[in-house]
Amino acid sequence: MNLNYSDEQQMLRDQVQKFCESDYSFNKREEILKSELGYDADLWKLFSELGWLSLPFSEKNGGFGYGPVELSVLFEEFGKVLIVEPYLSTIVLSGTILDKSNYANSASLLEEITSGSSQISLAYLEDGSKNDHTSTNSNLSKSDIGYVLNGTKGLVLNGGNADRFIVSAKKDAELTLLIVDADTKGISVNTYPTIDGQSCAEITFENVDIAESNIIASGLEAVELLDNTISLATLCISAESIGCMTACYLKTVEYTKGREQFGQPISNFQVLQHKMVDMFIESEVCKSLLFKAMLECESDAETKFKSVSALKAQIGKSGKAVAQDAVQLHGGMGVSDEMSIGHYLKKLIAIDALFGNSNYHLTKYSQL
Amino acid sequence: MEINFTDADIKFRDEVRAYLKNDYPAHVRDKQNNGIELTKQDMIDYHKSISAKGWMGYNWPEEYGGTGWSSTQIYIFQTEFGLAGCPPLLAFGVSMVGPVIYTFGNDEQKAKYLPDILNFDTWWCQGYSEPGSGSDLASLKTKAVKDGDDYIINGSKTWTTLAQNADWIFCLVRTETTQIKQEGISFILIDMKTPGIEVKPIITIDGEHEVNSVFFTDVRVPAENLIGEEGKGWTYAKFLLAHERFGIAGVANSKRSLNTLKGIVKELDNDELARKVANLEINLSSLEFTELRLLSALENGAHPGAESSILKIRGTEIQQELTELFVEAAGEYALIYPGPHGHGDNAKPAGPEFAAQSVSKYLNMRKTSIYGGSNEIQKNIISKHVLGV
Repeated sequence: MNLNYSDEQQMLRDQVQKFCESDYSFNKREEILKSELGYDADLWKLFSELGWLSLPFSEKNGGFGYGPVELSVLFEEFGKVLIVEPYLSTIVLSGTILDKSNYANSASLLEEITSGSSQISLAYLEDGSKNDHTSTNSNLSKSDIGYVLNGTKGLVLNGGNADRFIVSAKKDAELTLLIVDADTKGISVNTYPTIDGQSCAEITFENVDIAESNIIASGLEAVELLDNTISLATLCISAESIGCMTACYLKTVEYTKGREQFGQPISNFQVLQHKMVDMFIESEVCKSLLFKAMLECESDAETKFKSVSALKAQIGKSGKAVAQDAVQLHGGMGVSDEMSIGHYLKKLIAIDALFGNSNYHLTKYSQL
Repeated sequence: MEINFTDADIKFRDEVRAYLKNDYPAHVRDKQNNGIELTKQDMIDYHKSISAKGWMGYNWPEEYGGTGWSSTQIYIFQTEFGLAGCPPLLAFGVSMVGPVIYTFGNDEQKAKYLPDILNFDTWWCQGYSEPGSGSDLASLKTKAVKDGDDYIINGSKTWTTLAQNADWIFCLVRTETTQIKQEGISFILIDMKTPGIEVKPIITIDGEHEVNSVFFTDVRVPAENLIGEEGKGWTYAKFLLAHERFGIAGVANSKRSLNTLKGIVKELDNDELARKVANLEINLSSLEFTELRLLSALENGAHPGAESSILKIRGTEIQQELTELFVEAAGEYALIYPGPHGHGDNAKPAGPEFAAQSVSKYLNMRKTSIYGGSNEIQKNIISKHVLGV
């Protein structure tokens, strides 16, 4: 029994923290968000050089073979400064599917994304799939040269910037994951902004030709790949939300110490102190559930999914509570878009919405 | 990171389980499992069975007759007892006054008091709170005036848990009126049989007699009963509060109750309640891992401080919410009042067995967020020591 981070994990945290503190100010982030891409291509290259883009991949695919603990360290630190680079979509979601599958082209595709030269987005959600990420109406039917793909996917993270898509579809009633170039004939991409300043896309596939060699996995393998990848991604954004919550209470403490009313810093008022303590406690209990989920990642599927659902149910609720209090304690400044604090609220709302909200995961937890 | 215990720790856990299977007194187990109140003799039998194993000093160093266990072993010991539904060990002797005596007492005091604590031959109670001094403990007024080789003590203590059973009481008394009120406080041990001591029951809202008022009128106590230096009592009291880190959270006991509750709720076909139970279970998991994080930090040589305030706050909130959900599960049967001081002839109440006890347990647990430094005081501690405001 040992819940301490190893020296190696601590070094990773120090490295990420140093970058976030010195190279990712709130103003810098604002500039990045206004840019065409919506993320900083130079920083993405830097992430690659620092090895961050290869963290979770197996050694045979050129990665470090790290697990959920290292990923959560990265995401927790990312959350503290609201990093917008597409780590979740390209590395965690698409990269993990490639890395864990038996797909023949995985190594070369992973080489492309870890070098920072290409983006891949996972297109799995559809209207009416109701958080069941394996349910799909997209269809892959046989053709002379292979298959034809038809369907529409929504909420494809970073979809507008992706060079390729990994798409879920039904092939003879079997779930199938395939990869397709974004510029293939028959694909139309409609991008729109998300509440946290990033973007996603709705993608329509109309009679898109798909070769046999583009099929990543089918049947049970595809279901397990999708289940496990989304579970890992859920853990990652939960860690990110803990970083956001930590930043929320630290920024609020700092703000209330500096803000004077009635002739004294408002941090002297006990009613505000107790609210800030509540914010601190919420972030700590979420962190404890993160430890449980990280440690149970190697357990059987039910234990694993249950602890991830417990985590996601809690961080959705706590994140909203913490950020709302942070906004409240910042007073009028809290609702001003030029202050960072409201952006944490937006990020935490976005995280709650992603991969099933608090309500959904509480139901799932009680049924598992 | 590693979620599993070492082989040595698992072997130790098996030893604890063997006690619980073979040596935990059967009459105590039966009463506990059926929600029947334990008598004084039951509590003595239970504690003596632990003494007989040599485990009473579970959190003491070996040189004073303790087990010298690691933090992990203490955690396992308390967890296994909680999961088995054992009553928590009375803290007043072994966890409170004992460590103060072996840390600040002289050799005569160590020889006189420590063996009786380890053998559970003395039942201790705690004389801290006074009418008018609750969370502001240092405002206490009970006076000890030196008279030859004795102190003469006048004043009163309140909320004294199980004083009706106690042989001895350890008290904070005022030996001097000082500018800084903490500086005039001393720590003294008093035999409850001393003339001038009167114990009066306080009946709590659940109808039970657990706490008392203790009155001191010209009580003559030998000066040799004073621990350490006169005027240093506050330092010793603070040491005592820091000594007990685990167990405040009550994770294992709550887990046991939660399992019972889940069994009840399963039969009710009530989705709303089932969601509340699921939510509570998640809160309990988070508390369990908060405690494990603290344990890991301790084993790693860190000295966490205010984190134990989180355990107190969240642990008691969970204990209270558990009882609230039992009441909710009881539905209309929650009306039944099984306390000893009610009207009627106390016939076996209608409805499911848990229902008849649900409200009195709920009422009883209101104390948990008030005692041991109220939850608001715990928030003040976190605010000051963690947030720095």
